[in-house]
Amino acid sequence: MRFRKALNDRLLSWKMSGGAKQLVVEIVERGSKNNMVVVGTTIIVTIIALALLAPVLPMADPTMFVPEEKLQPPSTDHWFGTDELGRDVFSRVIWGSRVSLTVATLAIFFSLIIGVMLGLTAGYFGRYVDYIIAGTIDLFWTFPAFLLALAFAAALGPSLMNVILAISISYWAGFARLMRGQALSVRERLFVESSRALGARHPRIMFSHVLPNCIAPLIVWASIGVADAITIESSLSFLGVGTQPPTPSWGYMLFRGMTYLSEAPWISTFPGLVLLLTILGFNLLGDGLRDVLDPRMKGMRR
Amino acid sequence: MADLISYVIRKLLLAIPVIFLATFIVFLMLYMTPGDPILAIAPPHASVDELQELREQYGFDQPFLIQYGKFLERLLQGDLGQSVSTGTLNVDVSYLLMQRLPKTLELMAIGLTISYSLGIPLGILSALNQNSWKDRSVMVFTLVAYAMPSFWLGILLLLLLSVQFHILPAEGTVGGLSSVLLPALTLGLGNAALTTRMMRSSMLEVVRQDFITQLRSRGLPEREVIFRHALKNAILPVVTVIGLDIGWFVAGAVIVETVFQWPGIGLLVINSISSHDFPTVQGCILLLAFFVVIGNLVADILYALVDPRVRLG
Repeated sequence: MRFRKALNDRLLSWKMSGGAKQLVVEIVERGSKNNMVVVGTTIIVTIIALALLAPVLPMADPTMFVPEEKLQPPSTDHWFGTDELGRDVFSRVIWGSRVSLTVATLAIFFSLIIGVMLGLTAGYFGRYVDYIIAGTIDLFWTFPAFLLALAFAAALGPSLMNVILAISISYWAGFARLMRGQALSVRERLFVESSRALGARHPRIMFSHVLPNCIAPLIVWASIGVADAITIESSLSFLGVGTQPPTPSWGYMLFRGMTYLSEAPWISTFPGLVLLLTILGFNLLGDGLRDVLDPRMKGMRR
Repeated sequence: MADLISYVIRKLLLAIPVIFLATFIVFLMLYMTPGDPILAIAPPHASVDELQELREQYGFDQPFLIQYGKFLERLLQGDLGQSVSTGTLNVDVSYLLMQRLPKTLELMAIGLTISYSLGIPLGILSALNQNSWKDRSVMVFTLVAYAMPSFWLGILLLLLLSVQFHILPAEGTVGGLSSVLLPALTLGLGNAALTTRMMRSSMLEVVRQDFITQLRSRGLPEREVIFRHALKNAILPVVTVIGLDIGWFVAGAVIVETVFQWPGIGLLVINSISSHDFPTVQGCILLLAFFVVIGNLVADILYALVDPRVRLG
């Protein structure tokens, strides 16, 4: 919570400069020298690759019951053991990653869109538009995203689409806050004024001049956001208001595994381990990118 | 002092729209829920006319805003409605909440104590040994502890301490200090990681300042420099945000209470969601939101107490 607030404040005070191309060069050049970025990226790429390759990997069907093989400890046949219905835990973890990653990425994508649109509008137009939108941003910013998502998920009923919706509605305020702050400062810059003098319309200025200047903090926030969204999704599924069976999801697997904690601890330990690694990966990437892209750190050796 | 009072009043006024939003979301929740609420309370085989009559009696035929207004009116009178769960049918939600509240407060208080008594020393240790192996291991710990989803941490602790070694009871209903320890540790560890990080960076900032160099050059023992002078300055920004932790703990309590079957507000909300007891869900969410608002207020006030510049802004 408060760490997120501090991070958002810090990103908010960035004074960005340079175009999108320069940003990509910077991320690759400086990122490849930063341990956190390298480790985070490695974890993320591995998990995404496994998730994408799930249909072609030589694994057991994640939903197939094999009653005679239930509750087996990890072995060469079943790397992570089997669960109470004889399903292969490893294969369920890999298939579960597809759900978690899809939900988290889509949810963050939608909250990015909501946040950017609202923040940009508020910051660019200012005055009463800003007054109303900034007030709304503050309201949503005050509440822990998980609590909001829980309320929305409970109201909407459990389904994959509703989880995405609930997280998007709860998480957009951070993006909006960043976008608004950057837009407020960028719109005063000379190049915005000159393009206005050349007759550019508002949307054009907003999207081709103001937005590109704010991309770096948005990228950092999105990376951290995916980690948060994965946490929220798995927590909701764990509590039974998120992804529903038979869709394999990490949170629900952990919940089921709790019943068999003493006789088959692998059912809940392995999905949790992969969950932790994934969250850690996105956190590391976000933290590392923050260090790498922070304009105040430019020119300093690390 | 006068500026502090006006600052506090301003912050109090700003909290009103936040509470308002919470009531609105909570009301919307019930409004959006699929299914006709009247069918739940109507006698079986009720005719269409009878249903319409009941609908009018409970005000469900009114427009959305009027219904919301009525909801607010009842709320102001402290009426949160009645539970519709089979176990607690027609019991006042406010009564249920008051029954569970002490348990959640207990859990949060002990969790908060654990997180600070772990985080502050670790942060100091880490800052005083910057870039050593001690510092690095503490930093790795904070990274992992922060990323760790609390339900998985809870499961691991259960597995280690109760199932493997039988040190602590697995479920929180037994009472006594030992039963609250496991859930409180689960709740507090993630926050301990944050406290450690904040304490470390705050301490590093302070020991680089001139007055510390001056104290050292006067020949004060290092111990005294750190613990009497540096610590006092470094700990302030860490402790002033204690209010914001409440938001973190409220969200965490819902999960931790479910893992450990700890009979607080969090467990109540989850049980009520699964039994479609929406009045109780509404009450719980409102109460938790109220916690968050109070926490933010505490943070703002502490901040203004420490840094007088804030009051004028």
